[in-house]
Amino acid sequence: MPFMNITHLHLLMNHVPTVGTVIGVGLFLLALVRRNEHLKHASLEVFFLIALATLPVYLTGVAAQQALQGRPDVSAAAIAAHHDAALLAFILMMITGFVAWLALWQFRRHGRSAGWTTGAILLLAVLTLAVVAPAANIGGEIRHPEIKLDADAIAPAGVWISAAAVQDLVTTRPWVWPAAETLHFIGLSLLFGVLFAVNLRLLGGLRGVSFASLHRMLPWGMLGFGVNLITGMLFFIAAPEQYTNNAPFLWKIICLMVAGVDLLYLTVFDKIWALEPGDEAAMLDKAIAATAIVAWVGVIYWGRMLPFLGNAF
Amino acid sequence: MMDFLGWLEGTGFSIWVREAPTIWAFSTILTLHTFGMGVLVGASALLDLRLLGIGRTMPLGPLESLYRIMWAGFWLNLVTGTMLFAADATSRGTQWLFFVKLLFVGLGVATMILIRRQVYGAKTEPVAVNGATRGLAVASLGAWVAAIISGRLLAYVN
Repeated sequence: MPFMNITHLHLLMNHVPTVGTVIGVGLFLLALVRRNEHLKHASLEVFFLIALATLPVYLTGVAAQQALQGRPDVSAAAIAAHHDAALLAFILMMITGFVAWLALWQFRRHGRSAGWTTGAILLLAVLTLAVVAPAANIGGEIRHPEIKLDADAIAPAGVWISAAAVQDLVTTRPWVWPAAETLHFIGLSLLFGVLFAVNLRLLGGLRGVSFASLHRMLPWGMLGFGVNLITGMLFFIAAPEQYTNNAPFLWKIICLMVAGVDLLYLTVFDKIWALEPGDEAAMLDKAIAATAIVAWVGVIYWGRMLPFLGNAF
Repeated sequence: MMDFLGWLEGTGFSIWVREAPTIWAFSTILTLHTFGMGVLVGASALLDLRLLGIGRTMPLGPLESLYRIMWAGFWLNLVTGTMLFAADATSRGTQWLFFVKLLFVGLGVATMILIRRQVYGAKTEPVAVNGATRGLAVASLGAWVAAIISGRLLAYVN
């Protein structure tokens, strides 16, 4: 027997983006004031991990919206307003996570990050905070009328983006879905090719190559991931009912979380960075690399099996 | 030709692939085909990018072992692709887009082999990258992208 449902998962996780961003911004500002590079590095890691964790928060939120559809005791308009605000917050959070990752990658390669990333992250993180906090607040009002200052008003999302507009974009133009599917497969190849090779190096393949020189290719894997995140979200927002009640999709996201943590490990860890041509990775690093490859294969497997094991398409 | 395609589609094996009420038939074969694509195109693209000047600190020599990965992906997809073709022989065999896909896969594999000859043909040290190799790398990336586009669109175009 399952001990909880997806909506419950949303309630468990939904404070992570807001609280996490507050902590991230706080650490980042403290690092700038104290001119402490270690602290800055740590705050970048926080931003990356919070962005990673925000993906299931958004996805489970849409699942909760699906589950609550048609219930007379819940305002659909309030949920829609929460969704729109959350969508913008999600997009900003993802961009912040990407830039934070890029800064971490530069840190590893050059011992410091490029100047522009500091400004960009500060701006993006503050913007994210400005959007995610109200989004969370509107979300709270759905089930907690006691926190509302005006009992009758439904808080407007106050953002220029809406899930309905994205849904409209994908569903009214018959070429968008196939085009996005095609890009999703191209992104898959690029992403898998790079991350398979880097993890394979730790397992003992491509041993004549230093880890540092393979590390150079990681942004290309991230490019593939970015393409797949965008196209994947188009599918999800356009037809959420195909995914929110679909066990393979849940497994796909779990595998993606594992692979995401591995990406951070590949990007920043000292011990593997030092592997010169011919060097063998330690047993623990091999185990992590093997887990990551299994996770990426899992992402492909559960993704491709969506229509067969679940109810997508 | 139609007779052959009809016969192929009607064999017990094709019917099993197409209709067996198990996840181990059509869906698993299709998933393996997707996985093989990621392996083949991913490894090939990694080498292409290196030849185009990205990650120059990677020595070319050890990267030759990427070919083992590429060929593993290729053979997996030849086998799974043949199985998928057999299951839908009359529709795939008469679909022009399917032959466009095969053409691009052929081009991709041809550039893959040519790159190996150019870069690793000398038996000793890998040859320095020249304009011709870079041209092949661009052709390789283009062929794989075109193969994925035409292959993926098979599901949407008649």
